[in-house]
Amino acid sequence: MPKNICLIYKLLSIILYIYTVLAKKHKLSLSEEELVLALQRHDKIGAEALYDMYSASLYGVIHRIVIDEATAEDVLQEVFVKIWHSAASYNTNKGRLFTWIVNIARNLAIDKIRSKDFKNQFKNQELENNVGYIDKHNSTEYKPELMGVRELVDKLRPEQKSILDLVYFKGYTHTEAADELGMPLGTIKTRLRMAIQQLRKHFN
Amino acid sequence: MEEIRAYIESGVLELYVLGDMSAEEKLQVEAMAQKHPAIQAELSEIEIAMEMYADAQSVEPSPQLRDRVLNSLLTNLGDDRNLRTIQPRATAGERVVAMHPPATTSIFYKYAFAASVLLLCVSGLALSIMYKRLQNSEQQLVSLRLNEQKFTRQVSFLNEEIGVFRDPSFRFIQLKGMPKTPSSALTVAWSAKRKKVMVDLSSANLPAPGKDHQYQLWAIANGKPVDLGVFDKTTADSTDMKLMKSIDAAQAFAVTIEPRGGSVNPTTDQMVVLASL
Repeated sequence: MPKNICLIYKLLSIILYIYTVLAKKHKLSLSEEELVLALQRHDKIGAEALYDMYSASLYGVIHRIVIDEATAEDVLQEVFVKIWHSAASYNTNKGRLFTWIVNIARNLAIDKIRSKDFKNQFKNQELENNVGYIDKHNSTEYKPELMGVRELVDKLRPEQKSILDLVYFKGYTHTEAADELGMPLGTIKTRLRMAIQQLRKHFN
Repeated sequence: MEEIRAYIESGVLELYVLGDMSAEEKLQVEAMAQKHPAIQAELSEIEIAMEMYADAQSVEPSPQLRDRVLNSLLTNLGDDRNLRTIQPRATAGERVVAMHPPATTSIFYKYAFAASVLLLCVSGLALSIMYKRLQNSEQQLVSLRLNEQKFTRQVSFLNEEIGVFRDPSFRFIQLKGMPKTPSSALTVAWSAKRKKVMVDLSSANLPAPGKDHQYQLWAIANGKPVDLGVFDKTTADSTDMKLMKSIDAAQAFAVTIEPRGGSVNPTTDQMVVLASL
C-alpha cells in the first residue's frame, strides 16, 4: 500500500510540474479597447497583456533595425517604458494601437543606431548584411495565416522592397529615400503605396 | 469624391502609418480620416497590413526579458509622481468600458484541473484497493486448487484401495512374527491373476530397522527367494497400501531387514515375518 501511495504522489508532482510549465506559457490577451484602458489606468494586467501581445512583433522590428541582441533588448525595454508613460496621450483618433506603438519602437531603435555610442560600438559591422542574419533567427514561430509572407516580400519588385525596407527598417524619410535612390518624391510615394498594396492583397 | 480618391492615391496615408511625417501633417491626416469614412477605412487597411507584416517577421525575445521589462514598468508604477500625474480622463461624456476579468476561462480550467487531479487521486486509491483485493482472491484460488488436487489424489487412491477388497482374486496373507520377533505382523494382499502384490502398512507391526536399513519383501517361488522390492514403515506419505513388484506364483512371503536399497539375496537371520501358503 505505501508503494502505491508513493507512486500516486510521484504522478501528482509530475502533473503539477506540467501544469506550472503550461501556466507559464499561458499568454494574456485583451481586446484593443480593454488594453488601452488598462494601460491608461496603469493596471498591472495592461502591462502584461501589452507585453504578451506585442513583444515578439516589436522585438522583430527592433532586432531588424539594431541587429545586436543586447541592444535590441534594451530598446524593447525603453519602448515599453515609453508606451507605459505616454499611454494617456494615445487615443483612437490616432489609428490602431499597434501603429502607434510600432512607431515608438521604430523611432527609438533608429535613434539608437544613429547615436554616437552605438556607431562607435558597432563600427565594423556592415548594416547591409543584417537582413540575412535576422532572417536566420526569425523563423521560430509557425503561423499558418502568415505562411509565404517572406516569399511574398521576396517577390515584391526589388524597387518596392528596397523602398519599404529603407523607410521601415532603416528609418529613412521618403525625402531621404528619394535622394538615396535618385528618384522624384512622387515615384517614391507611389512605390511605397504599391508595396503596401501588395502586402494587403496577400493578407486579404 | 474624386478629391478623396486622389488623396488616398497620393500615398500620404502610407507615410502616416510609417510615421514619416511632421506632427502638423499627422493632425491633418487624422482630421481627414475623421471626416471621410473612406479615408478611415483605407487607413485601417494599411495599418492592418503593416501590423501583419510586423507579425510575420516577429522574433520571440528571450523569456527572461519579460520579467525585466514588466518589473521596470511596475517599479515605476510604485513611484508616486508617476502614479498621480497620469490618470485616465474618464469624464462624463466618455464611454467607460468595463474590464472583464480576462481570466474567467482560465479560472474554469483551474477548477477543472483541480477536479481532475482529485479524480485521479481517488481513482488511483480505488485502483490500489481493488488490486489488493484481486491479489487476495488469487491467493485463495491457488490454495483452493491445491486442496482440490490433494483431495482428488486421495479419492483415487482410496478407490484403488477399496478395489483391492472388492476384487475376489486378491488373497490376504497374514505374515507372522519369527521366534526373535514374535509380536511382529504384516498383511500382504496378493492377486496371482493380476500379478499384484501390496503390503498394508497401516496394520504393519515390524521392529524398527534403523537408519541405514529398510524392509524388503520376498516371495518364495519354486524354492527360490524372489525380490519384491523394499518399503519403509515411516514413510510420510499417506499410502497405506504400497504396491510392490509383481509376481504370479509364490509359495511363501517373507520380510527381512536389509541395508538401504535392498539386497540380491535375503539375509535370513534378519527375517522378521513369514507366511507360507
